[in-house]
Amino acid sequence: MLTRALIVIPLLLLVLVGLFFLLRPASPPENVPTTEESTTEGPQEKTFDLAIVQGSMTPSEITVYEDDPVVLRITSDSPLAFHLHGYDLETEVEPGEPVELSFTATITGRFEIENEQAREELGVLLVQPR
Amino acid sequence: MRRLSRLIILTFALLFLLLVALPSQAFAHGLGQSQNLPLPFWLYLFAAAAVVLVSFVQISLLVNEAHALPLYSRFNLFRIGSLRAVLASRLLLFGMRLLSVVLFLLVILSGILGVQAPSLNFAPTFVWIIWWVGLSFFTAFVGNIWPLINPWKVLFEWAEGLARALGLKRGLQLGGDYPQSWGIWPALILYAAFIWIENNFAGSATPLYIAFFTLLYSMFTWSSMVLFGKETWLQKGEAFSVYFGILGRFAPTEVRVSDPQLCHQCSSKACKEAGAGGCVNCYECFAKAPPEDRELNLRPPAVGLSLGERVSPDRLVLVVFLLASVTYDSLLGTPPWVRLEYLTSLPETLGIIVVPLLFLALYLGFVKLSELLSEGYVSFGQLAGAYVYSLVPIAIAYLVAHYYTLLIIQGQAIIALVSDPFGWGWDLFGTADYEINAAPIGADTVWYSQVCLIVAGHVVAVYLAHVAALRVVRSPRLQSRMQYPMLALMICYTVFSLWILSQPVVEKRKNEAIPTEFMADPSVPTETAPDFDPTLRQPPQPGNQ
Repeated sequence: MLTRALIVIPLLLLVLVGLFFLLRPASPPENVPTTEESTTEGPQEKTFDLAIVQGSMTPSEITVYEDDPVVLRITSDSPLAFHLHGYDLETEVEPGEPVELSFTATITGRFEIENEQAREELGVLLVQPR
Repeated sequence: MRRLSRLIILTFALLFLLLVALPSQAFAHGLGQSQNLPLPFWLYLFAAAAVVLVSFVQISLLVNEAHALPLYSRFNLFRIGSLRAVLASRLLLFGMRLLSVVLFLLVILSGILGVQAPSLNFAPTFVWIIWWVGLSFFTAFVGNIWPLINPWKVLFEWAEGLARALGLKRGLQLGGDYPQSWGIWPALILYAAFIWIENNFAGSATPLYIAFFTLLYSMFTWSSMVLFGKETWLQKGEAFSVYFGILGRFAPTEVRVSDPQLCHQCSSKACKEAGAGGCVNCYECFAKAPPEDRELNLRPPAVGLSLGERVSPDRLVLVVFLLASVTYDSLLGTPPWVRLEYLTSLPETLGIIVVPLLFLALYLGFVKLSELLSEGYVSFGQLAGAYVYSLVPIAIAYLVAHYYTLLIIQGQAIIALVSDPFGWGWDLFGTADYEINAAPIGADTVWYSQVCLIVAGHVVAVYLAHVAALRVVRSPRLQSRMQYPMLALMICYTVFSLWILSQPVVEKRKNEAIPTEFMADPSVPTETAPDFDPTLRQPPQPGNQ
């Protein structure tokens, strides 16, 4: 039993490691849709126009890659407190006055965008690892 | 007494109706959202393949193993004098109970008096992240301390001590007969209600509601303890004692009463039937046993899930419900579920009954297969009970994979909140300005750790199922045949939890049209979606503004 296990288990691990590298795509993965131009090499600046109409934001989901410099241009038809969780960026938005928020997407993950005043979720920012 | 029983049934029924009638909203997770990214598809494929591969290698290694049942080795921590002095010291034990009661009262007070914004109030973060997630992890990976710190139990004991001191000789317990037919169904119903509040109830993160439900549950628990006796209710009706009890079986520690004579004084049946080794995790007799008969043992993890005791049908249903409820929270956010909801327009609350029933049907189906393969040596009921605990490690692995980032990231909020529990601008410990560090762990590290956890949980589960098979039949041929259905079920359950981790989270937002991909026929324009008014699903949140 023990000798068999000593042979089989390392073999299994070897197969798993091989499978892992076989399946893992070259970074960044292609099957993740990007809203802007395709990401080929290195960080690229991404600009998004976020329009908030009657408490609903379009687009409501933004995807970028790690280390991309990101610019969010926010317009709203009512005053609100725009809050990006995780990065903890907050800005007041008044109707008719577009606000620009820029930052570098250093933290990977899924982050809520919220209107702090009404505590309503507006959308999410997805930062995919490279 | 019969009238009282009816009264209690009526209360349960009313409570349930109340819950169903209350406004519900999908994805109102207890608090805060996990910042996990869904597993990429290739990694999901890899993990699923790994699970299948590992399963068959493991089975092939286990099949011809010696067929003795493992008697696990354990080490009594109380044998080390200094450890015993610390772990069994009255000061530490009393301190922990006092702390637990203080936190319990703080949850109620901050819920009622504090600012109602969930992120500025102590109650939501403490209840949903520190206690519910944090204590679950602690119970599974360190040991079950809930019987020690359970605030309902502690407060009841203190009240009873006070009543005795004041001359009430019989104490507070009326000693009514608990109807045997109820089994642990009360605990199951209360646990289901709790899971419903966590996942379906729109106000689950609103401090006032947390305080309200805590008080409601307290009244209910204490009156039941008065009626049926404290120990009976803790074993049959106190949902969290039962829940943490099951998680604690996975833990690498146990408490044991070494003298079987003392175990016979326990009220629970499993404890009474203890063999020569004494009884394990029988907290009632442990508390009464003299110090020299108490053991605090280190043991191999997860052996508590394969003790081989008889499992009654009510307990079986509860364990299966627990397995289902762990994935329920995230299942609600997966695209297929949301699509199903739009198509059927059934109340979301129904899911909390339907999903566990599906789990139960699947489980019993695979048990039936296993029974057929056993050539009549084992009965269906015996097999159903023998296997059920072996699925728990998969649930625990999923629980950790899904929630650990929430605990280490959102959980940091408690550092600031202890200094300002009411949101009134206090700074008791000088930590009120602590800011959450959202970047302790990258998304790809999270993915790989999730996959490792899920595969590890699966390996443990397969091993436990193997031990369960050894227990019920002698013949090696039958043993190896009978475990294939359970192996198949475990692969399904594990891959299902991987699948959930790989799904994007769908959010229903205010005023947002249904994404076209969720509709039956994508060619129908979104505007004409039948019978769907998103604003209707968004109930007003009282006390938020």
